[in-house]
Amino acid sequence: MAETIALSNVTKEYGTAVKTKALRGVSFRVEGKEFLSIIGQSGSGKSTLLNMLGLLDRPTEGKVSLLGTDIGALGKKDRAAFRNRHLGFVFQFHHLLPEFSVRENLLIPTWIGSRAGSIRESAQTRRRAEEILSFLGVGEVADKSAEQLSGGQKQRVAIGRALMNSPDIILADEPTGNLDSENSALVYELFRRIHRESGTTFVIVTHDRAIAQQADRIIEIRDGVVSQDVRNDYLTGASA
Amino acid sequence: MLELRIARRFLWRSKVQSILIILGIAVGIAVQVFVGSLITSLQDSLVKDTVGSSPQVALEPPATETAFSFTTEDRESVGADPRITAIAPVQSFSALVSADGKSVPVIVKGAALADLDSIYKISARLVDGNVSLTGSRVVAGKDLVEQNGLSLGDQVRLVLADGTGVEALLEGVFDLGAQAANEQFVFSGSELAGAALNRPADQVSAVELQIDDVFASPQVAADLATAFPGLTISEWQTKNADLLTALQSQSTSSYMIQVFVIIAVMLGIASTLAISAVQKTRQIGILKALGMSDTRTGLVFLYQAGILGVIGTALGIAASLGLIAVFSLVAKSGGSGLFPIEPKLGFILVSAGIGIAIALISAVIPYRRTARLDPIQVIQSG
Repeated sequence: MAETIALSNVTKEYGTAVKTKALRGVSFRVEGKEFLSIIGQSGSGKSTLLNMLGLLDRPTEGKVSLLGTDIGALGKKDRAAFRNRHLGFVFQFHHLLPEFSVRENLLIPTWIGSRAGSIRESAQTRRRAEEILSFLGVGEVADKSAEQLSGGQKQRVAIGRALMNSPDIILADEPTGNLDSENSALVYELFRRIHRESGTTFVIVTHDRAIAQQADRIIEIRDGVVSQDVRNDYLTGASA
Repeated sequence: MLELRIARRFLWRSKVQSILIILGIAVGIAVQVFVGSLITSLQDSLVKDTVGSSPQVALEPPATETAFSFTTEDRESVGADPRITAIAPVQSFSALVSADGKSVPVIVKGAALADLDSIYKISARLVDGNVSLTGSRVVAGKDLVEQNGLSLGDQVRLVLADGTGVEALLEGVFDLGAQAANEQFVFSGSELAGAALNRPADQVSAVELQIDDVFASPQVAADLATAFPGLTISEWQTKNADLLTALQSQSTSSYMIQVFVIIAVMLGIASTLAISAVQKTRQIGILKALGMSDTRTGLVFLYQAGILGVIGTALGIAASLGLIAVFSLVAKSGGSGLFPIEPKLGFILVSAGIGIAIALISAVIPYRRTARLDPIQVIQSG
């Protein structure tokens, strides 16, 4: 069985005259459906790593494989299509489109992925959107503009958008960074439920060690290298 | 289509901005159509007034002759050319008219009334008396009549250069709309002119022609020169170089105005769309992160430009037609010195095409900006 995620000696350099290495030979594998956190201080390279996994950036050196596909071999258009089909994103900021209703925001990834950009979704897709909205507790605001929602509601809709195309991997970058503790707990509970019920792999980037410890596996990035890769029971000394 | 829906939503979200740019396009297109139609109609009116009621091409005898033979077969041959709309074989001569104690030089043109009417529209331009041109009856220009104290029914003697002369009866007064013609021209029938010149019926001083496209006169003249190698063929453009230059200058100034209006509209749309692209950077970045390709995100701005272009152009054309209708209404009511504008469908369609095309071209900057946008910048900036 192909690894869900496989990074092999990934390096990322920025700059031309003065080069800065954000990642230095990062390697790890995720097999099957995991719920893992990537933790690190600000500037450690964890967001760069997430951008690599999200096909938003390319490594300077090394290889990134997702679901058995060598991402480096894909062209720009195929990378966009891969992102749409296999990945779901949850960002620190909800990034909902204010021009669209809550329901439409959920449907956007489906519209993007449909042939010729058709905006006529199937009954099955509409049903799935309703189910997700209901599951996330925002069904009653489906027709409202995204701007009319509270911060917590917006982030739940953003999670719904990430789920809409039934992705294999959900990448979350500081997903609770803008939420209060109550909403943060709710979002994590949702992630857990989704992982449990759909088996989607979760990669959550955070700088908050307490949040990271709620994951099954924790990868710590320090100065661009993996400094720790442990299971949640690492306190007992079991390494991944 | 998703790109179209996003484009519509972006425009709807920035209603005031969208309305302003639509108005900008509309004003530009309205000015373009109005000015273009105005200049075209002005030129048509000028051409109609100056050469519309005079021969545009003429067959004349060689320099050494004063007349040439023009048979019925020749007339049929000339008439077979579909570009030629009127044929008038004329006898013409210079003469002196004794009036009010002085001799006034005139040019007498004698031909069948129907032929003269086909060129000079005498019957339609008669301001006093009648026109039959039978026997010794003649009609004269109103300035000639007024300046020399002539009256309808006067018997006048037309004296030729060789001292011979014929008696003529003034039966009508015309106004050709040009002072020089009104001061000099006397029209008679073929009978009187033939008698004055003492020529057989098939001998004519000139054959005057009108053509459907006055600006095609050089080509028509060239073709006639081939068909009638012994004759001199003249055409109005070589005789009216100044008028032609004026018309061409007018066309050039019209094109310049239209080009600058189009540039102004294009800059307006381009700057607005560029601002829109900046305003929507976050949305575009997210759409890209969600898997929308560079081409498709660029299409959003192309559709925005298309929507703005189509609506703006339609409003502009409607406004220009309204303006033209008001202008023409005032012109037709008379006394304003204006002339009716006749908008041409072809020109309006070209203007519409230009309006939409410049809107689409204006989308190039936001299209390229969008293509270069890195979604990471958006995601990290929040």
